[in-house]
Amino acid sequence: MSLRALVSNRSFLVFLFGGLFVLPAFANQYTLFVGNLMMLYIILALGLNILVGFAGQLAFANAAIYGIGAYGTALLQVHLGWSFWFAAPVGAVLAMVIGTLLAFPALRLSGIFLALATLAFAQATQWVLLHWQPVTFGAGGFRVPPPDFGWIPIKQDYGIYFLSWGVTVVLLLFAWRIMRSRIGRAFVAVRDGEIAAQSLGIDLLTYKAMAFALSSFYAGAAGALYASLLGFISPETFDLFQMIIHKAMIVVGGLGSVIGSVLGASLLVYLMEVLREFKSTQEIVFGALLVGFMVFQPNGLVVFLKRWLPGWEEPVHLAGPEGKDSARSAGKDAAPGEQPAAERA
Amino acid sequence: MKRLGSTICAAVAMTAAIATGSAQAADVDGVTATEIRVGTFGPLTGPVYMYGKLSMNGVEVFFNKLNEQGGIHGRKLVLVREDDLCKPEGAIAAVKKLVHQHKVFGIIGGACSNPTLAARPEIEKAGVPFHVFAAVADGIVDPPATNIYTTQLTASIESRAQIQWALDRGAKKLAIVAQHDAWGRARYEPMLKDFKARGLQVVADEEVTVDQNDGTAQALRLKAAGADAIMLLGYPKAAAVLIRDSIKIGYKPLWVGQTAIQDLPALQGLIGINGALGDFVSITTVPGHPDNPQYAEWRKRLKDTFPNDELSVFNLMGVAAAEVFAKVLDAAGKDLTREKFLAAYNTIDNFKSSIYPGPITCKGKHQCNQSPAFVKLENNNNVVFAGTVTLK
Amino acid sequence: MLMFSYLMATGITTGAFYALVALGIVIVYKSTEVVNLAHGELFMVGGMLAYTCYVMFGIPYLPSLLLAVAGAFVVGIITERVAYRSVLKHGLASVLVATIGVSFILKGIARHIWGGKGDYLTFPPIVSPEPLQFGNIMIMSQQLVVLLAAIVVMVGLGIFFKRTRAGKWMQATASNPKAATLCGLRIDRIYMYTFGVGAAVAGAAGVLMSPLTLLYPDVGFVLFIKGMAAAVLGGLTSIPGAVLGGLLLGLAEQLAAGYLHSSIQDVVAFLIIMLALIFLPTGLLGPRGLRKI
Repeated sequence: MSLRALVSNRSFLVFLFGGLFVLPAFANQYTLFVGNLMMLYIILALGLNILVGFAGQLAFANAAIYGIGAYGTALLQVHLGWSFWFAAPVGAVLAMVIGTLLAFPALRLSGIFLALATLAFAQATQWVLLHWQPVTFGAGGFRVPPPDFGWIPIKQDYGIYFLSWGVTVVLLLFAWRIMRSRIGRAFVAVRDGEIAAQSLGIDLLTYKAMAFALSSFYAGAAGALYASLLGFISPETFDLFQMIIHKAMIVVGGLGSVIGSVLGASLLVYLMEVLREFKSTQEIVFGALLVGFMVFQPNGLVVFLKRWLPGWEEPVHLAGPEGKDSARSAGKDAAPGEQPAAERA
Repeated sequence: MKRLGSTICAAVAMTAAIATGSAQAADVDGVTATEIRVGTFGPLTGPVYMYGKLSMNGVEVFFNKLNEQGGIHGRKLVLVREDDLCKPEGAIAAVKKLVHQHKVFGIIGGACSNPTLAARPEIEKAGVPFHVFAAVADGIVDPPATNIYTTQLTASIESRAQIQWALDRGAKKLAIVAQHDAWGRARYEPMLKDFKARGLQVVADEEVTVDQNDGTAQALRLKAAGADAIMLLGYPKAAAVLIRDSIKIGYKPLWVGQTAIQDLPALQGLIGINGALGDFVSITTVPGHPDNPQYAEWRKRLKDTFPNDELSVFNLMGVAAAEVFAKVLDAAGKDLTREKFLAAYNTIDNFKSSIYPGPITCKGKHQCNQSPAFVKLENNNNVVFAGTVTLK
Repeated sequence: MLMFSYLMATGITTGAFYALVALGIVIVYKSTEVVNLAHGELFMVGGMLAYTCYVMFGIPYLPSLLLAVAGAFVVGIITERVAYRSVLKHGLASVLVATIGVSFILKGIARHIWGGKGDYLTFPPIVSPEPLQFGNIMIMSQQLVVLLAAIVVMVGLGIFFKRTRAGKWMQATASNPKAATLCGLRIDRIYMYTFGVGAAVAGAAGVLMSPLTLLYPDVGFVLFIKGMAAAVLGGLTSIPGAVLGGLLLGLAEQLAAGYLHSSIQDVVAFLIIMLALIFLPTGLLGPRGLRKI
């Protein structure tokens, strides 16, 4: 195996997911829990990056959609007695439908205004989760029955873990394919210049709706898994802090890059657990790390890796949400990366 | 390339370290010949960090005092902290880490209701002894679990006591003002149930938020409903803002608070208007004010260990819980196992602790503190005992 | 009728809070086209510094106030130099994350230094805390101080941006940094001072409002969200817009809470914003009909 293949992004993914697959064999319950959470955050980051990184829609509703997926799945199980295997896809689709509705304001708003409108939606959603007592059980939260693995001879904890693993891998491959297809290129066209995209025949509503739908489905799927992982749901999980973590993951990893989402999510989850050792000064260290990342690698870790390691290029990666900045940064960073798009497609 | 290689090696090493955890050379988790490792979890960061961090500081100060005197049966107590961020997944992760990686003997902690509830199945499954020091949700000990005890007044006891107090004082039209977050609802729901059980009408049911800066709207509505006693289910800021704005509009009902509002002089300071708390009582687990001479020893110890801190009610809550916890540890004997420790809770019968106002009885029940004591403020400064209620 | 007067009065005074926070956000945005997500923490820092000077060190009231504002100004400049200088040109998302990092740092430091002193700290108001009588309603005197301050800042900033050279430099830098440099403007200095001034306004807001909002490490967050909502509602580049947005938000909250139910107080602001942005996508007084190609 050539050196190039050894350090490419593909081998990183194999290393990561292979490691996650065999983790149950030698890790304690705590590490397993963290690994499971990491996979959920990878799904969330993948979805959000599609919307923010590729399609350039600065939306702040991801945590709320995550919550809708989690609540949807859990409530179907608790109120209607559905099995997890039916409730989960329906919950994810419910999240997708609601998230897609956000595409409409996205047609008229952009930048910080879209951010605020989606933020307002997220706060309103949390308010509903908190106050719609009869349905959502309000602030006290409620217990979620674990998924029934039926005839598969597997322990409960491990069952959820491997289910998450499977879903994460499938969604990752799906994102990888989509971003390399026409749809992915259309997203980037919308991001880099709406008017130019329209003049190329790309219908803004369709593609923005698709971007919102995809990211909401991912968030909803992560939510369904989250509900079973914890066995308990309450509204405070899906607050602004959660949204900030999602944003931080994709920016640290690299906007507009599928592998960047994985990098950012796994790194940040790992860091947050390591930072536990700092006890009370966690906040300061976490904040300092975020600032550090932004100062030294504002375009994400992926750019850094692209520069030093072969095999990390990605097609349509990185112009940044502002077209004018890409011209400036392309000269500095992207030189070896942009060409091979044609050969890799 | 080399940088990448060494980074990978470091990452693998760290992962392996986390995965395998630290070595433990004892038969019972967390107990060696010279020390007992006790875990604690609660918010160390975030808006409600004082319930976690400050209470833990209190526990640590108490443990330090014990250790100076030789520890328990010759073993020193070591406190291991984990942050739960006041979130369910944080609490579950914290408990898992304490039990499976730090391998603690027992846990004294739990400050946020929802996260502690979420972590309860995990705690039960692990069989680790868990002593609650600040969280109030009923569901943590009801239905009881063999390994979970609490010395904190639970929500239903406080809510019922609040109603009883108002009725004992002759109030006819009771109203509720509550935060509708997890903490608030843990009290609000038992309160509604008690109203129903007594056949009483709630004349007004208003909501406040933790960060509210103005309570005029709520005060106007309460006044319009003619309420003469208000059940206050809020944190000090919401309470201060509401009382201040009620005075502003000339509305002066009886205010009945609960253990989240224990520092009355501080509340008076927040409101800033003279005599604002003339008609105010609150339930306390810590009678008197932290500035009182009876707490001088803790004040000094706290200042020595944590120079930035001032002795507060939260610290004392931690000290009080730690005192009971240590007493049980002592009663469990030198040959310490989790079973003996849990059995030793039954020796706590009518224990007069140095801080809790009422007797602590764990024999036969898991809710060890069933005596709410009320306090009020005199002369803007003096916290005095106001009375108790008998709950049927 | 009395209830209505009270709710209107409270709406205006609460709106003044949001307006004052929004003004600081607008200052920074007008010059850098960036929203400083650590703005709420700068507010908190101002309040905490004032507390430290006045309550802990016993420095007299007015000097404490000025020291707090100066301290906030310095913190604003430091954060600009350390965090934003190199990140500003890399896109909005990176700057937002960098400012989030700064807000965590400031909150963590505040929790470390002042967190152990109790859950809420008080800072005394400029004038006596007893309420004043206006007709048949009472208003807290400090609320009037805040309202006055909001108006003063608004007028001051309006004059600054329209009439003074420095104000025009800032606007020029925002609209086209390259051209501004070509005209000989030191844009890095301008960014720096803009952040400083924005932070100083936030600090001043913190000092004036903390007797009413109380002081704790997380006080900045909710106010920032509402303040940003007010700023965006007003159009983000419009100074009177910030004040208008703030007042509208305050009024909407109080009237809804008073007449509908207190439980919707928190969500009314966001509903209004969603509606307003649907019909006026750049805010109430923002630039109309602009599409950048």
